[in-house]
Amino acid sequence: MENNQLNEPHRNSLLRNIKATFHIFVDEIKAIFKDRGVVIIVMVATLVYPLLYCSMYKNETLIDIPVAVVDESHSSQSAMLVRKIDATRDLKVTARLSSMKEAQQYFVEGKIHGIINIPANFSQNIYTGKQANISTYSDMSSFMYYRSMVLATNYVTLDTGEDIQVNRLAMEGITGKQAELITHPIKYESTILYNQGMGFASFLMPAILILIIHQTLVFGMGMAAGTAREENRLHELIGKSTHRGHLFRVIFGKGMAFFTLYLFWSVYILGFIPDLFNLPHLGSAMTMLEFIVPFLLATVFFSMTLSVFNPTREVQMILLLFFSLILLFLSGISWPQSNINGFWRVFSYLFPATFGIQGYVKINTMGAGMSEIRFEQIGLWIQTAVYFILATITYYWQIKKSVKRNSKNQ
Amino acid sequence: MSTINILTSFLKTFRREIKRIMHDPVYLIGSVIVMTFCFVFFLTIFNEGLPQRMPIAVVDQDNSSLSRQYVRNLDATQQTKVAMHLNSFTEARKEMQKGNIYAFVLIKDGFATDVYANRQPVITFYVNDGYLVAGSLALKNITYMSELTNGAAKQKTLLAKGVPESRIMGIIQPITIDSHLVGNPWANYGIYLLNVLLPGVLQVMIIMLTVYTIGTELKYKTSKTWLFTADNSMFAALTGKLMPMTIIFTILSIISNLLLYKYMHYPMNSSIGWMFLTSFLYVLAYQAIGVLIMGITPVLRDGVTLGAFYGLLGFTFAGFTFPIEQLPYVFRIFSGAFPIRHYFEIYVNQALNGLPIAYSISQLLALLTFIFVPLLVFERLKKAALYQNYPIK
Repeated sequence: MENNQLNEPHRNSLLRNIKATFHIFVDEIKAIFKDRGVVIIVMVATLVYPLLYCSMYKNETLIDIPVAVVDESHSSQSAMLVRKIDATRDLKVTARLSSMKEAQQYFVEGKIHGIINIPANFSQNIYTGKQANISTYSDMSSFMYYRSMVLATNYVTLDTGEDIQVNRLAMEGITGKQAELITHPIKYESTILYNQGMGFASFLMPAILILIIHQTLVFGMGMAAGTAREENRLHELIGKSTHRGHLFRVIFGKGMAFFTLYLFWSVYILGFIPDLFNLPHLGSAMTMLEFIVPFLLATVFFSMTLSVFNPTREVQMILLLFFSLILLFLSGISWPQSNINGFWRVFSYLFPATFGIQGYVKINTMGAGMSEIRFEQIGLWIQTAVYFILATITYYWQIKKSVKRNSKNQ
Repeated sequence: MSTINILTSFLKTFRREIKRIMHDPVYLIGSVIVMTFCFVFFLTIFNEGLPQRMPIAVVDQDNSSLSRQYVRNLDATQQTKVAMHLNSFTEARKEMQKGNIYAFVLIKDGFATDVYANRQPVITFYVNDGYLVAGSLALKNITYMSELTNGAAKQKTLLAKGVPESRIMGIIQPITIDSHLVGNPWANYGIYLLNVLLPGVLQVMIIMLTVYTIGTELKYKTSKTWLFTADNSMFAALTGKLMPMTIIFTILSIISNLLLYKYMHYPMNSSIGWMFLTSFLYVLAYQAIGVLIMGITPVLRDGVTLGAFYGLLGFTFAGFTFPIEQLPYVFRIFSGAFPIRHYFEIYVNQALNGLPIAYSISQLLALLTFIFVPLLVFERLKKAALYQNYPIK
């Protein structure tokens, strides 16, 4: 083995450098496809995970959550209310029970996920002009049940209430436009600008898609580096391709191989998949490209830096798989970023996934342009630079170690 | 082989495994360090319970004393704060796309004059449900505040019209809802998420380390020594090997329970002892899954990939974010194959809803069943260990 990697003569022309880098690039691509473990991560997982997760969360909202009604009023008013609740998209009245005790039994058996209790004085209160009251009980094991209950009962009581309101005002001698003004002195309209359907998949999947790219790159490059280390008898990180020399060529060649591969995957994962599953996909292709390039570069160099510390093929994945979950919560897509405290906020900026998820959601879901995601874009370019330098330093250190050992052996 | 012999084989393997754990940092990093990190991370990140003072903006084109009062009211609520005063819809939309605000309120010019002239002005809220949690909570908060503001105005007008006070509330809000949130009356996100996320991370680590401890024996061709230490008893070899991590993971899950129910005072409407028992069975069930995976594919690399796949799916199949019965049918039928699903159901019945333990017996039995799963691959794993006839890479 040659050991002149570090003091390569300067007479090399640019062309030769490019050629050599290209050779490493080709070697790396070949190495990726020769290694079954790496192929499973960077080819199979990337293909299958988006399809699998999107299919699982294909139902965007909960439909017809089973609830029980305990109608102690037995009136036409209460019957009407129950009919309207049953007619909502969110809830379905699957049990009409005579006592709360019975309803609780249904609840603990998991037959229903909510109870609506209409008390005996319900219709009487409506006739006598008083406030009528209903009670709801929501299963809090999933917040989605609670949300469905709130949405449906709010809608129905407001809707029913309006008719009652008109009648009562008429009894006070207030009708028509005047009545309208009293009930709604100020009109409120709410518009959901992005993710209008309040869909769960539309909200979560964009983040998951970016995470799939980020994590398969980390684990794929980690495993490839582990393989190189294991194949190399001296247990150094850089495998056969090192003999083509020069540190930067190795880093560029390796980086370009994964970058190119993932550029193709990005079209599939970030473009095709949202289209296929009717997820939001607003942003322009140009903006997306301008954003995805620094994201992939940052992730590639981040993975490369991390891969140096991977002692064997498997250890990185064993110890860091759980971190996918941490990255999801650090991204601020679920728990709002504004409410992530200072320390964790700074910590989150270490990972390309944070900027990646925020940037992609903004472009893809909210139709943001380059000027709206300037922060994320700059963040990713800074990460690209920092992780490139770190990758260089760690690789330099590895090569030096290998050279030293080689010369000792010779 | 007699019981005494099995016991000595077990003890020998157990001691050997302790040595392995001491010599390879992966085991302690993957259990103690990872879980400690997760305790700190999850307990500090959701410490507000519900997000407080989320930034919203107003576009107050009216800028009258009435509109300013309304904006002050909005700012005074607990969950939102008016972080920006902007001049136009476009400006506000851009701030929303930048993610700086989760909602904004547009008050058009002439708002106050319209109110006084009874011309029914319109206030429009715009929310971003791209961030579903922040968007929904902000909308709920703004709507609530606005209803209050409106209610006060209505009351005033009706009084002026000579409507008796006793009838006013019946007109303003004919039907009210008394909302009960069973087990988690504050709709606290920590309670909702941590009870599943912590066991979720735990199962990932249990699967991974179980796969690792068996897989490395095969990969580094030490599996013969492993079985030799156990006097060729597969039973002693497996139990002796897994027991040290059973102890560590059970202790970690008990710490997790204590943190949630004692330190954070999350709802525990049953005996915490049932959760300890559940956690213990949960650890065993996932170790059994790890053995099964290595039995299916006695190659460390493939075991890790398969384990990762299964472990991550657990978060979906627990059914705590998106309920299981609302998943497409083809996926729903698999949920029983994930111990985390049974754990979740026991937690809901016991800790959250405080039911008698009889309601959780079937789930406890289901967890227990997983422990026998390795029997399916006993022979295959033994052969793999003895003949080492699988690729090691």
